Amino acid sequence: MKEFLRMENMSKKFGEVYANREINLSIMEGEVHTLLGENGAGKSTLMNILTGLYQPTGGSIYLHGKKVKIDSPSKAVKLGIGMVHQHFMLVEALTVFENIILGITKDKSIFIKKDAIKNEILELADRYGLDIEIDKAITEISVGAQQRVEILKALYRGAELLILDEPTAALTDIEVEGLFKIIRKLTAENKSVIFISHKMREVLEISDRITILRTGQTIKTLTKDKTEEAELANLMIGKELVSSEYKKVMKTKENILSLEQVSFNKTSKHNGISEISLNVGKGEILGIAGVDGNGQSQLAQIVTGVIAPDSGNVILNTNKIAKFAPIDFINSNVSHIPEDRNKMGLIGNMSVRENLILKSLNKKRISAGKGLYLKRKAIALYAKEMKEKYDIRCASIDMELRNLSGGNQQKIVLARELEEEPKLLVAVHPTRGLDIGATKYVHDKMIDSRDKGCGILLISADFDEVLKLSDRIAVMFEGQVVGVYSGENPPINEISLAMSGKAK
Amino acid sequence: MEAVLNVTFFQELLLSTIRMATPILIVALAELYSERAGQVNIGLDGIMAFGALVGFLTSYITGSPYLGILAGAVGGLLINMVYAFCTITLGAEQIVYGMAINIFAPALASFIYKIYFGISSTLAQATLMKVMPIPFLSKIPVLGPVLFNHTIIVYLTYLLVPFTYLFFTKTKPGLNYRAVGEYPKAAESLGINVVRQKYIASMICGALAGIGGAYLTTCYISTYSDGVVSGRGFIALSAVIFGRWMPGGVLLAALLFGFTDALQLRFQVMSSATPYQLLAMIPYLSTLFVLAFLGIKKAGPKANGKPYFREER
Amino acid sequence: MKLKNTLIKILVPILSVICSFLVGAIMITFIGGNPADAYKFLFRGAFGSTANIGETIVKSVPLIFTGLAATFAYKCGVFNLGAEGQFTMGAVTSIWISTVVTGITGIPLLILSLTGGIIAGGIWGAIPGILKITRGLNEIIVSIMLNYVAVLFMGYLYSSPLREGSVPQTAAVAVKLGRIMNGTRVHAGIIIALIIAVGIYYFLFFTAGGFKLRAVGLNQTAARFNGYSVKKFILLSFIISGAIAGLGGSVELHGTQFRLMSGFGAGYGFDGVAIALIGQLNPIGTVLVAYLFAVLRAGATTMQVGSGMPTSVVDIIQALIIVFAVAGSAFTNLPKTRQFLSNMLSKQNRKEKEEWKQC
Repeated sequence: MKEFLRMENMSKKFGEVYANREINLSIMEGEVHTLLGENGAGKSTLMNILTGLYQPTGGSIYLHGKKVKIDSPSKAVKLGIGMVHQHFMLVEALTVFENIILGITKDKSIFIKKDAIKNEILELADRYGLDIEIDKAITEISVGAQQRVEILKALYRGAELLILDEPTAALTDIEVEGLFKIIRKLTAENKSVIFISHKMREVLEISDRITILRTGQTIKTLTKDKTEEAELANLMIGKELVSSEYKKVMKTKENILSLEQVSFNKTSKHNGISEISLNVGKGEILGIAGVDGNGQSQLAQIVTGVIAPDSGNVILNTNKIAKFAPIDFINSNVSHIPEDRNKMGLIGNMSVRENLILKSLNKKRISAGKGLYLKRKAIALYAKEMKEKYDIRCASIDMELRNLSGGNQQKIVLARELEEEPKLLVAVHPTRGLDIGATKYVHDKMIDSRDKGCGILLISADFDEVLKLSDRIAVMFEGQVVGVYSGENPPINEISLAMSGKAK
Repeated sequence: MEAVLNVTFFQELLLSTIRMATPILIVALAELYSERAGQVNIGLDGIMAFGALVGFLTSYITGSPYLGILAGAVGGLLINMVYAFCTITLGAEQIVYGMAINIFAPALASFIYKIYFGISSTLAQATLMKVMPIPFLSKIPVLGPVLFNHTIIVYLTYLLVPFTYLFFTKTKPGLNYRAVGEYPKAAESLGINVVRQKYIASMICGALAGIGGAYLTTCYISTYSDGVVSGRGFIALSAVIFGRWMPGGVLLAALLFGFTDALQLRFQVMSSATPYQLLAMIPYLSTLFVLAFLGIKKAGPKANGKPYFREER
Repeated sequence: MKLKNTLIKILVPILSVICSFLVGAIMITFIGGNPADAYKFLFRGAFGSTANIGETIVKSVPLIFTGLAATFAYKCGVFNLGAEGQFTMGAVTSIWISTVVTGITGIPLLILSLTGGIIAGGIWGAIPGILKITRGLNEIIVSIMLNYVAVLFMGYLYSSPLREGSVPQTAAVAVKLGRIMNGTRVHAGIIIALIIAVGIYYFLFFTAGGFKLRAVGLNQTAARFNGYSVKKFILLSFIISGAIAGLGGSVELHGTQFRLMSGFGAGYGFDGVAIALIGQLNPIGTVLVAYLFAVLRAGATTMQVGSGMPTSVVDIIQALIIVFAVAGSAFTNLPKTRQFLSNMLSKQNRKEKEEWKQC
């Protein structure tokens, strides 16, 4: 096999921080090469360099042994490098066809020669088994279909190397199988694939070689046949994988939250929920497992009052909710770790101190005279106390929040939401984008709260997280709850099947 | 009353509608080109004021209103480069900077006028652009004089509407252009130079808005005075929203606003008893009512108004 | 960290002012004048005598009001470009009260009249707010359209129903705001303006309501998720912003102009936006910048008479300040600049920086 591409000593600094440090990587023609690493290991940064979106701070790239400089995305395209981003780079206002031809100047004509190009695209799609509906708008097709459009987009530009960033994250099992078939067809035609993932099972199924990245550095490159899951996991995390088991509890008798036949935007499979009935007991964690975008966001927003259901009852601590408003839920001691902390939970241009008191402004220790006077000193003291207690690392409590790392931002959310000893906590992707240390911290805090009697509704696309924390597990698929399982010795295979819509 | 409401009345009303709609249409198209690349520019009023001055001055000095229009385009383009640099390269908030242009450009225009004509001068007059009747077509009864007896700028402005439509839907550069306003990161990943496209959009916007301003002083009234634009830039802005970012829609909106303006002017002529101020409110009030009753669902380009930085973390 | 940000926020407008004066000087030279001479007359006009100092203060009053109106709305994340209309409607209402109300005079009438101005401004300001939260209309367009309507309405009043005599203008108001400085036209309006400024400052930074309003302005979604009523705050900010501008119009009428005529309030709305932006959207900064603008205006005529430079030089300088200030703020917010500045300014607390780098 000949070498297609090699990266030597690649480094990329953001400000003072290295996102990549002297990374070495070589890709052969016709191979599937996996980049394996935790969130923040530097995979995306490295790929952004390879596709010309970022300029490296140091290092060189060789293509067929010749040194090249990729100083713009169009240069990367010219060199035959194509990427399918985790968050698709598709323009929703345009059709599939328009998305595929965007930015292309194959023929000199200013006008789009629709029929000729269309045939060309369809031929290409046929060759690699990419099933697409060319005239539909992007918003009308499924996530899997959007991914095929992305792949076709890269191929149509003459990609010899295809980078797939977390391609299976949003796919069902069947769709993953389809994707793997496509990948095998590509390598059969001598095209190379860089596959980015942290799902061991998939990695071992599809890869030829695997390179492990950790904290921005290359740890090791392995051949698939000569390794196994445990070794990869250890290399990726950097220490022996300790399966830290939290003690599971039995469901208590009293419910803090009950949903009875709750529906919202029922006809939508991805942005609605349909006749959901669930209970969360006091002092237990109910985990919701499921692929992202099966109604979890809507569920979370209903049980925190952000949106009102179209039908059905929500019963919070024996009270049937009549009016849905966040303030009423907050006053009933419901806490919320929202799915997007920067957009929904925190205010980037306010200080750490101000973000900590967002929800407690009218409390006696914060303000006097019905909010007409804010007690500055008491607030500062409180903020400093929280900074210590929740280990929030920042130079000062007056720092603007946007200058903090994701982990520290999430700790501020935790401090604010858990300090009030909530009766119900709704936690959505609570550890998304956090490193291992911060993740463990968040998990410990959640278990602490549970043990103090707080009922927790945990919604996460990270299946391992759900397995680790939940006392009971409910699976959501296309807006419905398709099964509820025990958290103690959960039937993992059965749950996986349910997540892909194949529940009994 | 009945004597005035005859064919001549409607003919004049329509003629006037087309003339009044022209500057609004061209400036609304300017904004359309800007927003299609994600650049919201509320500084149209300011750019128009500057274009009006430059156009007037050039026409006054050279005696050619055609050169005036050209100079208006160049002037508008240049002044909009200040906006482009600050919003694209420095990432300043587009609304805020558009506002800065609204304050800066008229001040500059007024300054230049006063420097050139002295502090206390009589009103300078420039020649107006002559109409260019289209042979045969302008002879059609009733409609001929209404549609085919205008200055060349009017014809070109209306021709710009189908051109813009074709450009954005049928051509490759048009498609790439739209992608920049919808999802700049995706566009960049496909090798489209987002920053360059945004600059180009701002240049087109500046030039067209400058022409819109110059139209006022070379084709409409023969003098320049501060406040000559009188909010037309903002009406154009609402025409883009009302027209849902489509050339055809923008045309309809501009004609509607032109019509209300023409109507109130006709009324002023007809009934001198009614205070003109009350009639002059009609265009502004109708803009409000049209927007309020038809409502606006967000339909604009997705990344409209958002700054774009290539490397972001 | 906080000190550094504050320092930058103060430095940007100061540097913008200096740059604008420099560019102004170049322009003066270019048209054949002597900048030193022109600026000398400018400042003499603003500070040369007690009367001049007083005149500068008088000119600052309406600017403070519209500047505060813009600041208040912007803090809630909305643009009120309609301060001119609200200002005008405030004055119109006061004139109307002065004409129709009989039986009371003196201070009670004054208070009634000013209250009328506040209410009228608030209502005029509420319209874009209501249309925004119910119909999703762009507040910029609505507030601008309402400016034209208000100004035309005022024109209608002083040329037809409320006209007095042959010139198109209204009669003078029945009561006037008291003069508070001997030998000048300075009236109690400046005190009202300063009280409002301090009040807004207190509200925004020392009360729960102000906190929430700022939170809504910075991140509406997060504010909603944290239980704030976003629409309520948006409407409230429009009403209060309009009320401040309306009071400004009323004060200007009772303190300086006494009657409505062509040009009353013209341009104050946009000036207010400019002042608020240069003042970094801080109420105290707004007052200072409004005063600076007043200095320029008060001195402009003296400059024109003394050095022959047209008053529009001053308009250019004002416009340049806003151009520079906004560009400067954006520039200091660029990631690269922030990095550079923090390296430069924080040599003394390097240890601190090391600490947060790790987190």
